[in-house]
Amino acid sequence: MPMHAKITQMLFSVIDELNQLRPPDEHLAKDLETPIAGDSGRLDSAGLINLIAVTEQKAAAELGRPLLLTDDRTLSQVNQVFRTLGTLADYIHLRLSEKNDG
Amino acid sequence: MMDKRPYRCALVSDFNLQNFAGYVANDPEFPGIKPISAPFGQPAAALINRDLPCWQNSPDAAVIWTQPQAVVPAFKALLNYEQVPLQKVLQQVDEYCALLVNMSARVKFAVVPSWVLPSYRSVFGVIDMQTEIGLTNTLMRMNLRLAENLEKAANIYVLNTQHWIAQAGVQAFSPKLWYLGKIPFGNEVFKAAVWDIKAALRGMLGYSRKLIIVDLDDTLWGGIVGDAGWENLVLGGHHHIGEAYADFQQALKSMQNRGILLAIVSKNEEQIALEAIKKHPEMVLKLEDFAGWRINWQDKVQNIIDLMTELNLGPQAVVFIDDNPVERARVKESLPEVLVPDWPEDPLYYPATLLSLRCFEMPSLSREDLTRTTMYLSENKRRELKKTVSSLEEWLARLSIRVQVEELHPANLPRATQLLNKTNQMNLSTRRMSEAELMAWAEQDPHRLWTLRVSDKFGDAGLTGIISLEIQDRSAQIVDFILSCRVLGRKIEETMLATAIHHALSLGIENVYAQYIPTAKNKPCLDFFKSLAPRFQQQGDCFVRDGQQPFPVPEYIKIGPAPEAG
Repeated sequence: MPMHAKITQMLFSVIDELNQLRPPDEHLAKDLETPIAGDSGRLDSAGLINLIAVTEQKAAAELGRPLLLTDDRTLSQVNQVFRTLGTLADYIHLRLSEKNDG
Repeated sequence: MMDKRPYRCALVSDFNLQNFAGYVANDPEFPGIKPISAPFGQPAAALINRDLPCWQNSPDAAVIWTQPQAVVPAFKALLNYEQVPLQKVLQQVDEYCALLVNMSARVKFAVVPSWVLPSYRSVFGVIDMQTEIGLTNTLMRMNLRLAENLEKAANIYVLNTQHWIAQAGVQAFSPKLWYLGKIPFGNEVFKAAVWDIKAALRGMLGYSRKLIIVDLDDTLWGGIVGDAGWENLVLGGHHHIGEAYADFQQALKSMQNRGILLAIVSKNEEQIALEAIKKHPEMVLKLEDFAGWRINWQDKVQNIIDLMTELNLGPQAVVFIDDNPVERARVKESLPEVLVPDWPEDPLYYPATLLSLRCFEMPSLSREDLTRTTMYLSENKRRELKKTVSSLEEWLARLSIRVQVEELHPANLPRATQLLNKTNQMNLSTRRMSEAELMAWAEQDPHRLWTLRVSDKFGDAGLTGIISLEIQDRSAQIVDFILSCRVLGRKIEETMLATAIHHALSLGIENVYAQYIPTAKNKPCLDFFKSLAPRFQQQGDCFVRDGQQPFPVPEYIKIGPAPEAG
């Protein structure tokens, strides 16, 4: 499976985790267009913290790759990175590719 | 019928409990919980301040979950490896417990998870268990003190957090969540906590399971007894599978020692199966460990229904264990309230699967719980006697029934509360109260409450009746009229009324009345009061009687100490 598809699958399993914390009518859709942060975002700050922590955990467990989403580079562009599930997938792909290049 | 309303639960913590609140609010298992969080960070202040929103409108429960260093300052100093006398640490634990006990008057139940240290904190491990200087040593003593202190409060329960940590494994503690959100634990800990706390609440609310029905072949032992013969069953001995079956039986026996009834439903020839139970030298369970059995070739669902009727238990009290998935599916479909756990194919997992079920929680253990199987066996003897006599009166006379009437006191409070919260059928008003609430109610001036212990020549049925009065001017209301179905129809009902009316007479009360509050299950109580006419006059759902007319104790009943069981 291509890396981007693996990342998407991993993020969907993150959404499954986060939905356990939310009432059924507030569940996040497993869709790359799902807005996360910013003005139309579905997550509050606590939700974003959980998203970051669970994503890092699952990246290690499911992709076998360490991932850091609390560094200055990520947090300085938080609204862009976390705008939708798709932008987050792209960003994770970029970060993991950079590691490969290095 | 389970109460579908969400139970309001105050959450108090020094750390961010938002994730726990999310899991507990959205968990589909009964009971539904609506969490109301106190502002986190100042647990002591939150416990004291009655004006916080979380304490308004009498929340049903509270979860008070703290880190030890947040509520015991001396332990915080110890974490910095400062010298602190153990006595000072324990004194502060006592002070914290006093706050918890004060708070407990505001709720029906309070749950306090025990204290833990992050498992990554393993520095200086060699001296960790040494007195005064070892952190783990001190924390164990603190938890012990916490549990001992809170045991005295009837409605506070300390739960073992270490169990949740073990389940969560390496993800139990999350420095990332701590620094980002002041959440010390990984989410797996909160999930395990929700599972445990809900199981505890079910027990407190009287929804624990009371009967395990087991199959025989390939469930209680390995092999088909009808084909192989009892001598060739796989059970015990120097064989890993035989050992697992013996351990499974031992686990069932341990459940029985805690008051859970055991019964058998098996498709077999009864004589052959009973011979195996009696003769196999490695059988841990003996015939007298089973409160009943249905061993025949009939449908298991019908056999389970028959057993429930015999033992006077509803499907919500039953767990059914069978190795055969087809039988499990049939029971699940026909009796959805019976708990039918998924059962492993490998017998080596049988004991662990049984012991990991979370449906047997009970907030206290009464004498009645511990002798429940004996009580049911005595009941069989009573039934046998009934078949040999010509009338109900003769049967009652030959039973030599004795009733002990006592007021409510700390020693009978746990069982009385259990009876109050569990009894559905012969229950006039179906009040549900915690131990603290019941004792507080009984101690109020206009109230009187008596408990009744019932015994006969076959044994002691234990504390099985409650009647209470509220005196208002010249009349007395029977508030609680509760009798365990274990002793229904033996004139204990009339004995309870005689007790209360005798008291009313002594006070010069003009009339005594009972207000029947209907529920889905308490029609037997209405039928009983209707059957008392003309001794009680029915006015709608209210039954009234002249308070100055004596109500005699039935002639077959002796009021006094229990006779020797025969």
